Amino acid sequence: MTQEIASTSGEIVMGLGFWIATTIFILAYALIIWEKVHKTIIAVFGAALLIVLGIVTQEEAFNSLDLGVDWNVIFLLVSMMVIINIMKPTGVFEYIAIKSAKVAKGRPFMIMAIFSTVTAVVSAFLDNVTTVLLIAPVTLLICQALELDVVPFLITEALASNIGGTATLIGDPPNIMIASKAQLDFMAFIYHLTPVIIVVLIAYIISIKFIFGRRMVVKEDLRQRVMAMNENEAIKDTVLLKKSLVVLAVTMTGFVLHGMLHLQPATVALFGAGLLLLISGIKEPRHVLAEAEWSSLFFFIGLFIIIGAVVKVGLIKWMSIKVLELTHGNLFGTSMIVMWFSAFASAFIDNIPYVATMNPLIIDMAKQLWPNLSGIELLHHPDLMPMWWSLALGACLGGNGTAIGASANVIVVGMAEKMGHPISFKQFMLYGMPLMIESVIICMIYVWLRYYVLMI
Amino acid sequence: MKAKDIMIPFKDYLKPDNTLSEAVNLLKGAARGEAKIGVMGLPVLDDKGKLVGMLSMTDILRAVHPSYMDMMNLGDFTWDGMLESLAKQVRDKKVKELMTRTVIIVHEDDPLMECVDRILKNHVRRMPVLDKTERVVGMVYLREIFFAITKAMLDEK
Repeated sequence: MTQEIASTSGEIVMGLGFWIATTIFILAYALIIWEKVHKTIIAVFGAALLIVLGIVTQEEAFNSLDLGVDWNVIFLLVSMMVIINIMKPTGVFEYIAIKSAKVAKGRPFMIMAIFSTVTAVVSAFLDNVTTVLLIAPVTLLICQALELDVVPFLITEALASNIGGTATLIGDPPNIMIASKAQLDFMAFIYHLTPVIIVVLIAYIISIKFIFGRRMVVKEDLRQRVMAMNENEAIKDTVLLKKSLVVLAVTMTGFVLHGMLHLQPATVALFGAGLLLLISGIKEPRHVLAEAEWSSLFFFIGLFIIIGAVVKVGLIKWMSIKVLELTHGNLFGTSMIVMWFSAFASAFIDNIPYVATMNPLIIDMAKQLWPNLSGIELLHHPDLMPMWWSLALGACLGGNGTAIGASANVIVVGMAEKMGHPISFKQFMLYGMPLMIESVIICMIYVWLRYYVLMI
Repeated sequence: MKAKDIMIPFKDYLKPDNTLSEAVNLLKGAARGEAKIGVMGLPVLDDKGKLVGMLSMTDILRAVHPSYMDMMNLGDFTWDGMLESLAKQVRDKKVKELMTRTVIIVHEDDPLMECVDRILKNHVRRMPVLDKTERVVGMVYLREIFFAITKAMLDEK
């Protein structure tokens, strides 16, 4: 096997184009990690430069399925953002959070456990950052009412949002990207990732009980402050709320059925956003559209073009050959390396550029292994499937390792600092890293047991 | 008329290192013209007498209002005593942490229409008046401009 792979490496021409693309790719990633210039600016400029220099043509960058911008990812993200932006003023998110605190009867650990679970479940369907931005303000209020240290609550919610986001296709951008490249549908993620994420979440709640559970006590009169809150007052627009919930139900049904209906997830999301815009009675859509995270969206666009260039010149293929040489074509070993390497890489660098690079790398690896296959037969080769799931699990859960591993962590640390409770890099890692390793161990056992022992 | 014709001569001011409890005391007892009836906002001057900011009552309100409440609609879920306990927590914060740093100003020879333009466009109610050497010489208040408008409207000539 090793020999066969080595012989194919001859096809890569390491000419001027190869070195220009590779240099821009490495420089762009280095600058993104360095964080002195905003990552979106680097990605957009790097992409433009590659087109100007003719490494990729504009046609390839804008329209090619293999080399260009993955519009499936862009439209799925922007459509979900629009739906959430329309729903926000209804007060439904405030309602859910206040209700959760009251269900917990104002008892601190119960609040932590319920808030973490709610965050995980909501994150499975909405973007993690959005979820954290919706739950954290209420958490700060509740902790103020109960005179509790807010830091453990904020950290556990950020971690829970990354765990929950891993469960579905739409939960976290890496999954959206993997689904689009590997042509995996919503139900495939439910079938392969959701079960293990439920186990990870249960283990996580038990772990935080041991870490934080004993320290928190609250006086009875303070609990009354929480119990006196009336969650029904949160709902500001019942009519819009009903419309939003209907559209959300339609969209979720669409996701469940999109494989059968032969519709891409982005089509389903775009339909949901369009329908809600239509029936919400919004006269001027400028505000809800402007509030989408345009900076992240342009980051994706730039990144896709940069990755397209290094795929085109053969860098990714060269890397995939090296990975296979390293693992001697042992696919179980490769899966485990992909999972653990992804987890530690994502703990320190943005998992979005990481997955953007790994997707074509895995496809190139598959092409080396099964040169006679193409299309779905290649992407969904039974021996390749555990690789996709290992990548998704590693890249999403790995974000929990450090304060900069995932956007949700960055948001939470920023908010805590603004409230006068700074969380140091070390302090976050002290909780995040062991909990991340715990979750990846569970996933490792799961992948091994399910795909290599039981083979189901 | 010009800004200097309606301005109240400069008297009280805050220093960047004043605490909020000192600041509210000054706001409460500051002179407005002849009477010491308190003002809604004061300029902040550094040791060299240079204008570095403004602190208004709105800034004090913002100091006790937790920033997380800006992010969501949580006003319905506050409790009796919350404001008082937060006020106690922020009383030792410094003026420089909460003042508005980009101050909207006018110069003493600016016409009144310029004052109106700045007040409307920047949503302020008072502006320090500076002389040619950029020193604060007075304050122009919304009320004084209003009186100038009233006078012009009611003037029969």
